[in-house]
Amino acid sequence: MRAALKGALRPRENDSAYLLDVHSRGVPGRERMHRYPDSDEVDMLIVGCGAGGSVLAQRLARAGWRVVVLERGPFWDPDTDWVSDEEGSAHLYWNDKRIIGGSDPVEMGKNNSGHGVGGSMVHYAGYTPRFHPSDFDVGTRDGVAADWPISYWDLKPHFERVERELPVAGQDWPWGDPHRYPHSPHPIGAAADRAWAGARAHGIEMRVGPVAITNGVFGNRPHCIYRGFCLQGCKVNAKASPLVTHVPDAIEHGVEIRSDSMAVRVEVDGSGRCTGVTYLHAGRERFQRAGAVAVCGYSIESPRLLLNSTSPRFPAGVGNNADQVGRYLMVQGAPQVAGRFPELLRMYKAPPPEVSSEQFYETDPARGFMRGFSIQTVSPLPIGWAEHVLADGHRGAALREYMRDYNHWAVLGALCELLPQPENRVTLADETDQFDMPIARFDYTQCDNDRANIAYAKQTMHDVWEAAGAQDVLSIDRYAHLVGGCRMGANSESSVIDQDHRVWDVPNLFICDGSAMPTQGSANPALTIMALASRLAQRLVAKRVAAQPSNRALARRGGYR
Amino acid sequence: MGEGARDAGHLPNLRGADGPADPYRLPRQRRGQTPQMHGRYPDYDVLDEIADWDDLTRGVVLRRLHDVPSRRFFTEAEWDALAAFCDVVLAQDSDPRIPVVAYIDEKLHAGRLDGYQYADMPDDRETWRLVARGLDQVAQSKGPASYALASAEVRHEIAGEFSEAKVTGGAWDQVNVVRAFGVVMRSALAAFYSHPWAWNEIGFGGPAYPRGYARLGIGMSESWEGVEAFDIDPVPDVKQRGLE
Repeated sequence: MRAALKGALRPRENDSAYLLDVHSRGVPGRERMHRYPDSDEVDMLIVGCGAGGSVLAQRLARAGWRVVVLERGPFWDPDTDWVSDEEGSAHLYWNDKRIIGGSDPVEMGKNNSGHGVGGSMVHYAGYTPRFHPSDFDVGTRDGVAADWPISYWDLKPHFERVERELPVAGQDWPWGDPHRYPHSPHPIGAAADRAWAGARAHGIEMRVGPVAITNGVFGNRPHCIYRGFCLQGCKVNAKASPLVTHVPDAIEHGVEIRSDSMAVRVEVDGSGRCTGVTYLHAGRERFQRAGAVAVCGYSIESPRLLLNSTSPRFPAGVGNNADQVGRYLMVQGAPQVAGRFPELLRMYKAPPPEVSSEQFYETDPARGFMRGFSIQTVSPLPIGWAEHVLADGHRGAALREYMRDYNHWAVLGALCELLPQPENRVTLADETDQFDMPIARFDYTQCDNDRANIAYAKQTMHDVWEAAGAQDVLSIDRYAHLVGGCRMGANSESSVIDQDHRVWDVPNLFICDGSAMPTQGSANPALTIMALASRLAQRLVAKRVAAQPSNRALARRGGYR
Repeated sequence: MGEGARDAGHLPNLRGADGPADPYRLPRQRRGQTPQMHGRYPDYDVLDEIADWDDLTRGVVLRRLHDVPSRRFFTEAEWDALAAFCDVVLAQDSDPRIPVVAYIDEKLHAGRLDGYQYADMPDDRETWRLVARGLDQVAQSKGPASYALASAEVRHEIAGEFSEAKVTGGAWDQVNVVRAFGVVMRSALAAFYSHPWAWNEIGFGGPAYPRGYARLGIGMSESWEGVEAFDIDPVPDVKQRGLE
């Protein structure tokens, strides 16, 4: 029965896919979008319209909250703003300068930082794995990293709900907490076929998915056309991003999304409550009043905003009295190894995310390091492939030769769980940006466990290609994803927020994005960020968190919509 | 497809000390253009497909072809040094060449930078100028008046020293040389492999919206995708196929 329903389940309480237009990709109804004056104290003011902010806004608006979202970037229209071209898509990234330091600096922008309505899910590959139950008590289980103040089981109903809303396509999933997906697995391309054959020969299980790409019509979102440009923004509306999965329903329920608005300070009054956010729009400084504020700017911008929000009560930045803001920022080690085959594989066809394995996710003492990694197919387009070839040490005629050989290659990528460390952190640099706001500096240094994990993952991918009969291999070291920086925890001495995302010491200030996560697992973070926002919204609406709208706001609600 | 492409013997890692093979052994391009007119898909021109691209993407790609930006950011001397350097590291040793430095100049002039700066590096715009000056300084230390005026052999030698971070003194002391090489190569590669001539050379399908792909499996091709040729000799091939 459940199998018969594959693809047919309409998500509860989210009509986004049905509110979209069949004939154009942009979000309809923007001209009818509710507008709030700055002086109006809205119930929740959200900073950042990505995975966390969009879901939180949509959920709260459904419950009658009056919500404004400030977004630094533009309100994208896929038809008029995005192209089916690699180099022409650089405007999708957060390209404002950040200073990177430490012994293993992490390059920013492309690949880890979004910009505009939809956030970095606009240009993520589309992989949406769940975290495993083991991710939530790594501290107890493995004696490294940290425990979360919540468990997998707190998030499970939200994983399921978000998977229906995106929707996620994939085979029945055997790892972590075994589960099914609402859409059937996509067909795979030749490159993924080769990778899977190699994995089988090497004794590694792989499965198709999980990817947040429609497999079949979903509301007014069409089927994927397998054009391979997932990382350049989906012009089809087949790949899920908040722009198509939560923003339309949010607007329909009264949310105002104020794009091109850069938040510069969270304002706190003498009693320690926040009163709203100062932001810049069209070159003018403005202040939006709010009963509560949720910062959803991801692992660099959320800490930066908090650190820049100084006041007599919080001289080192709001929520930073224990010097925790910006710390324990993590990236995943993301080495990629390519294998060469006699046949034409043309990896530019089909979405880059196709098949993956979580067989190495948890700690195996025999490997000699704590925690693990996942393996996924990735399929770079020509510029990405050129960076891969360059990283393997080729230039000039040798580089051109490997580039001409593009259609014979398949690429595997690993996501290695690197451990949270206090000195891997965001601070404010001396330099300021065009908004006269100090720019962020991000220092990052790997520990021995991190290096051992990455080396093992690379060797495993080499072994897969050898088992597949690859004629040559090329590899590149890189990073992916950001997690942590304002982590949740059990006490105010070692974390920034509590289990309900509330900043310690500020009763009406929340942080709800990837920065809230104490560990990162080997999973792409998007689904978990959305599930966290879904859970927070449920708890706020059910008044299990104290910063529900004031009585005044609740009374007003009767007259709204 | 000849056995040559199934076999991987042409790949630099497998050729070892022999170095990369001479690309002029490859088929000459018969349809459309490739940089230096050699490639692996001699009868494939991605520009034959532009009617199936969306207007916006078509505009962006064709602008690269038809509106090559003129010099606005670099000085003439910087431009000459960097153009020569980009041609060396991209093995563009004959016409037609993709004018890589023109796209880089445009990007830097517009301030379209990547979203980061290493703590031990200047702004990318400054890095490019320092690299240009550094290349000329190394060339002058070997005799020639500038990098661009040096012999091909000397230009290759200096590019090799730069890639191995063996250049020092003058402008090079103001940057982390390893990172500077990364900065310039990343931009050079993005400019080169965003050009449709390079797509012809490697058999990339190019923009694929709104058409998409239907044939994903091993050995399957869309009707318009290029047929790979590796070791055909174009002269008898043309005769055999009655193309003359």
